[in-house]
Amino acid sequence: MRKRNIFLKLIFILSMGLVMVTSCDLVELEEDPKSFISPEGFFNTPAQIESILAGTMRRSYNNWGGYSYQPGFHRHSDQNNGGNLVITQNYGAGIWALHWNNIKDINHAIKAINNGNLANSPANIQDELMGQLKFLRAWNYFQLVRHWGGVPIITEETEDYFSYLPSRASVAEVYDLIESDLLEAIQKLPVDWGALEGRPARDAAKGMLAKVYVTMATAPLNETSNYVKAAAMAKEVIDAGKYRLVENIEDVFSMETEYGPEMMWSFNANDQHRSTDPRVWSAVHGWGDYSADRFWVDSVYPEQPRKYEYLEIYSRDGVHHDSLGRGIGINKYLYDTWENFARGVTTVNMPIIRYADVLLIFAEADNMANGSPTQAAVDAINLVIDRANGYEPNPEYPLLTTNMSRDEFDMAVINERSYELCFEYDRWTDMLRKRIIPDVVRDFYLVNFSEADYLYPIPESDVRLNPNMEQNPGYGN
Amino acid sequence: MKEKKNGMKRVPGLILCLFLMIFTTGAWAQQRAITGIVTDANGQPMPGVSVVVKGTTTGTVTNAQGNFSLTVPTNAQTLQFSFVGMRMQEVPIGEQTTFKVELEEESIGLQEVVAIGYGSVKKSVLTGAISSVQMETLQPVATQRVDQMLQGRAAGVLVLNTDGSPGGNTTIRIRGMNSIQGGNNALIVVDGFQGGDLSALNPRDIASIEILKDASATAIYGAQGANGVVLIETKRGRTDKPVINISSEYGVSNILMGGIELMNAADYAREQNRYEMANNFENNPIPIFTEAEISEFERTGGTNWVDEVYRTGKTQTHQISLSGRTDRLNYFTSGSVYDQEGIMLNSGYTRYSLRANLIADVTEWVKFNLNWDVTQQDRSGPQFGAQLDWPGNPVLGALQFAPTLPVYDENGEYTRPSQRYGEPILWNPVASALESLNENERTTNNVNIYLDFTILDGLTLRLGGGARFSDYNVRRFLNNKTHLGLQDNGQGYSFYSKGKNYQSSNVLNYTKDIGEHHINAILVGEIKYDNSYYFEVNNRDFTVHETSVYNLGGANIQRTGSGYSERKINSAVTRVNYGYADKYILAASYRADGSSVFGANNKWAYFPSVSAGWRLSNEPFMSDYGFISNLMIRASWGKTGNQAIGTYQTLARIGGNGEYPWDGGSGTNLGFQISSASNPNLKWETTTQTNIGLDLALFRSRLRITTEYYDKVTDDLLMSRELPRTTGLSSIIDNVGSMGNKGWEFTVDGDINIRNLSWTTGISLTASETTVLDLGADEYLAYTAGGSGHSVNIPFMFLTPGEPFGQIMGFGYEGTWNLGEEAEAARYGQMPGDPRYTDVNNDGRIDYDNDFMVIGNALPDFIFGINNQFKLHNWELTFLWQGTYGNDLFNVARIRRESTREGYSVAKLNRWTPENQNTDVPALHTAQYRHDYREAWDAAHPDNPLVSTITFPAAGSQALSRWVEDASYIRLKNLTLAYNVPVTRYVSNLRIFASGTNLLTFTKYSGFDPEVSSYTDTDGRLGTDYNNYPPSRFFNFGVDVTF
Repeated sequence: MRKRNIFLKLIFILSMGLVMVTSCDLVELEEDPKSFISPEGFFNTPAQIESILAGTMRRSYNNWGGYSYQPGFHRHSDQNNGGNLVITQNYGAGIWALHWNNIKDINHAIKAINNGNLANSPANIQDELMGQLKFLRAWNYFQLVRHWGGVPIITEETEDYFSYLPSRASVAEVYDLIESDLLEAIQKLPVDWGALEGRPARDAAKGMLAKVYVTMATAPLNETSNYVKAAAMAKEVIDAGKYRLVENIEDVFSMETEYGPEMMWSFNANDQHRSTDPRVWSAVHGWGDYSADRFWVDSVYPEQPRKYEYLEIYSRDGVHHDSLGRGIGINKYLYDTWENFARGVTTVNMPIIRYADVLLIFAEADNMANGSPTQAAVDAINLVIDRANGYEPNPEYPLLTTNMSRDEFDMAVINERSYELCFEYDRWTDMLRKRIIPDVVRDFYLVNFSEADYLYPIPESDVRLNPNMEQNPGYGN
Repeated sequence: MKEKKNGMKRVPGLILCLFLMIFTTGAWAQQRAITGIVTDANGQPMPGVSVVVKGTTTGTVTNAQGNFSLTVPTNAQTLQFSFVGMRMQEVPIGEQTTFKVELEEESIGLQEVVAIGYGSVKKSVLTGAISSVQMETLQPVATQRVDQMLQGRAAGVLVLNTDGSPGGNTTIRIRGMNSIQGGNNALIVVDGFQGGDLSALNPRDIASIEILKDASATAIYGAQGANGVVLIETKRGRTDKPVINISSEYGVSNILMGGIELMNAADYAREQNRYEMANNFENNPIPIFTEAEISEFERTGGTNWVDEVYRTGKTQTHQISLSGRTDRLNYFTSGSVYDQEGIMLNSGYTRYSLRANLIADVTEWVKFNLNWDVTQQDRSGPQFGAQLDWPGNPVLGALQFAPTLPVYDENGEYTRPSQRYGEPILWNPVASALESLNENERTTNNVNIYLDFTILDGLTLRLGGGARFSDYNVRRFLNNKTHLGLQDNGQGYSFYSKGKNYQSSNVLNYTKDIGEHHINAILVGEIKYDNSYYFEVNNRDFTVHETSVYNLGGANIQRTGSGYSERKINSAVTRVNYGYADKYILAASYRADGSSVFGANNKWAYFPSVSAGWRLSNEPFMSDYGFISNLMIRASWGKTGNQAIGTYQTLARIGGNGEYPWDGGSGTNLGFQISSASNPNLKWETTTQTNIGLDLALFRSRLRITTEYYDKVTDDLLMSRELPRTTGLSSIIDNVGSMGNKGWEFTVDGDINIRNLSWTTGISLTASETTVLDLGADEYLAYTAGGSGHSVNIPFMFLTPGEPFGQIMGFGYEGTWNLGEEAEAARYGQMPGDPRYTDVNNDGRIDYDNDFMVIGNALPDFIFGINNQFKLHNWELTFLWQGTYGNDLFNVARIRRESTREGYSVAKLNRWTPENQNTDVPALHTAQYRHDYREAWDAAHPDNPLVSTITFPAAGSQALSRWVEDASYIRLKNLTLAYNVPVTRYVSNLRIFASGTNLLTFTKYSGFDPEVSSYTDTDGRLGTDYNNYPPSRFFNFGVDVTF
């Protein structure tokens, strides 16, 4: 009796246990994510490739950390208040990282197209995508090479994240990649994107390439043969007539002119993706995180209507900044509405390449290529100066003439670039490529100057984790 | 202004319902009534003694006066009296109707049964380090939350308050930190179900709390055990007679200002004038406030923003329970409501909970067990601290918004900050508090069902498991009257998630006493499966604001998101305990865990433990030392794991990368990116722990001492292994590094009876030290914890190999340069009255590379608690002191309070002047004075010109030791006075009590609360105070009735 009892118990219990174990997939420990996919499953449609383009630029124009907040990257030019040439060990590390992050995504996308992932899409769609990807990769490398020198050339996807320890290529090799990417982009980008006005069109790539050439012609490569190429490339843009100067200086930066006729390619913002809080640009009404150097404004920048359009010398009520005890903000980026400013939001774009830049590249390159200013070079720069003066004669800052030496004219162009393109990430790179830091910064910062300042330090993390990564001179190891 | 909807109105209705439910449960038969009193050896009445008719389930417990009354069948023979720690006594009934029984103490209180996970053992054969929180001493204390009940009451347990908000979070650490990224939260096991939520428990439902600390205790939980385990058992029925318990508490609470002292409006106005007038180089400033205005502020006092933002909070708690047992059914049911109106406007918390615990004897050999509880938690209130942008933080605003401004302007609108003085973008804190809607609702539903089979004598099988379903919903709306709401023209957010956790645990248990041999062995098979789904809507730019979060469709910009994750753990466990004559004890356990979250190549891990104990007091040679009632030494060793890592972390993934107008114009393009790389080798963190313990009980166990020493090393730390940025990623999760953690724990408990006065005391003291041993290739790990808006937006919390956990780093701040030190100051471009920073390498520059140094440590050297209970006649007085020693807090919130431009801490008035040089508040030199001083100095000292050589990182100029403060404290956490009203015929127990919480604090810390830690997402960020909801002082009054 007792034995039978135990037997029954066991049968009952075992059958209970069986029910518990029957759901077999509970024992399967492999993960099968439902809410995201792996890279192998991506890069298969044009829309997916486009999301890489948008994603990388979103990262680049990130608020506070990215290009939307200049103090993190271009603090030490002579235009900037507080730029003292003390370039700390990790200066610009965030920008360095975002470019490599961009390059990783872009390389995956390029490889996918080359692998035929989009074989079902029309060839022109594939070409347009490839053109944009190559354009973007060139821009990313252009930023890297100008600020850090010869960086690793990575054009394939990283296979093994643990052991990938690339070495640095030479500056020339990086420029070779940039040039070939841009040439391909020029081939593949359409002349006009129609309503998709934010995208880089063919002439934007040409303008970018002109800028690359003029940079190659100056330090550190000093391959002056590139002046001819730069002038020619800029001239193609000028002759094409797709872009032109905005007529009035007060309209250059405005909501209406964000996508042309002067702006060729910019960091874009709108209500879905805003720029950094505008109060960083206003020293009078905001915080003035990024303000203009008082000496540069008072003693260097010529008196002309442009000065008061680009710089915040007066408050909105017309009070001079000095009587308010405030510094000088950057009016260029304060063109969004006052209501938005008061809310702490703005959707302003920040130009990367615009027509005035191309005109000045042409003037510079053409002068240097010919050994003296040609009429064409003078005309190009005078278009910009005349507008800056409000099309009035300005004895303090007159139009240029051919009656100047090569070097005088060159200096005038570089100075004009400083005024016209101020706070557009151009002045510091001009100071680098023209090797003029000690000539233009405030005297008391000279103690901090050394030749090492012509490059930023390779970020500490990369030097520490990658034995193949050589540090730039002057930054220890 | 809208009034907060008041949850209190609903409470009486609920109580009424519960009453109705209970009084319909009916009457019980009467046979023969007996009464009596139970005392201890000193004649002290003993409450809570179980009185049972032998051989039946008829019984009761004694009330607070030790009295009992019981109706027994006429044929009843013997009464059994039992109480934990006392020897059971049997008394023949005979013809007697009144009894006087004296219970003797057990020589050692070792017959107690202690829960140890997948079962329980006699305390006498326990070899692990386990703290039992005495629920009896907790019961009289008005605590509404289980996590806070643990504070100061168990050695080795550190409880930190993240904030003081109603329903706010706490961080519990058992024996310090083991992990950096994997999380350090203890595993909570409620009635056998793993992964419980302490905040969802009604404290009065709890029968016992055990805290498992050493490896021999925690290894049974394997990959979830490394951070310690909190085992909670809920109540069961104890007597035949149904027991109804009803209690109600009411309380008020007020803000605890701690060390914060602010100027009045007049002083503030003078400060602002001083600041304005100091800007006099090439400027002609005019004062902001006229003398007339200042004297008006003197008269009115201006606006006290603390009074405007905070109020007297109210709390109430009501609970009712019904419990008992019949022949075949043991039941405990309860319902409770806790309602708190927070001290900050618009903040509150309500918790409703219902519970039913049933044990039914299905047959002689099958028992059915059910634990069911459902909890609804509603939490509301403005966001604070790092939850939102700093200008809109009402906590910061209340201490920072100009007292010279009224709450409302002449049009009845909220005042905006002046653009002429103070912080121009700070938001009106009353608006921030009142106009933000933020509601969090959490519903949890727990069901545990077990079938217990008795197969043979001593061999049992438990089959079953449990499930928890939780719903979480967040609804948030910021209208145009809030800072962010104005920026976005209304921000609306709704989040919904559904979590499901399943656990099936099947335990085969064999327990046998053979002579002096005691054997207990278990075998467990377990499967856990969790999944969770969320959906969220994040909208802005609202056309209509009035409908708020209740019509999110009214927004022009709409974003949605969703996600899903699954996690599985399969486990097999075994454990053997062996004891001989309660003298020699051996135990061993082994667990195998397979978890889905780990890398494809490392799904399974194994966790062994062994332990041994020797009870010397049972040896013959100890028999001469009669005053020693128990002496035991214990040792254990074992491994536990930490699998606290998110799902899918070992896989490469494509992730979203925001939106960007790539096409230009007002449209948008979604961004995607490769967001992580795969690591198929990822595995558990393993903690190896050695523990040595000593238990000593003296004088018939009236004095009990336990001391433990432990040494833990955690290897294979789960960390973001940093990658060269050229890979395009910044890190990958990997097993690198190790951490060490050792410490001492002391617990002393004593019972002293002097005539009618009985005194019970418990002291716990924990000293521990956590050291970072290895971080792989990283020289350090650095964490930003300063939030935005305070110029400490650089990492200042550091973990460095060879150094203690929780290092705070920054620039040394040595006060100010004084007169006579001009030349030395000039090296740095400073002048007397300017801040003096530590130049570590004395190179005449203050820079990040050379002068960034350790300026504090966030972890205490030791923590302690002292718990006392006095009983005299019907009175009871209970109090708890608790504190920490040796920890620092980075007081981020103080930076703005003392800033030259806007702060109005009274500390600023102590600024440097030639007459007041002994201070750390810098001088307010005028610009003209600075200019003239500089000119004169440079002319006289061309070799040492006044050029600043101080280069702080741009975003981190306030990472200064000036803000790091000693946060050691002693706090009278709780004081409760209770009176037990003499019993009547219908009421077996009636208690009236009053209690206070956070009554006294002794600390040097100058913020609200030394207990705070604003960031708790990773322990690397513990130790900052960033404008979190301040703590309250509570006074409660309550009544507790048992029928």
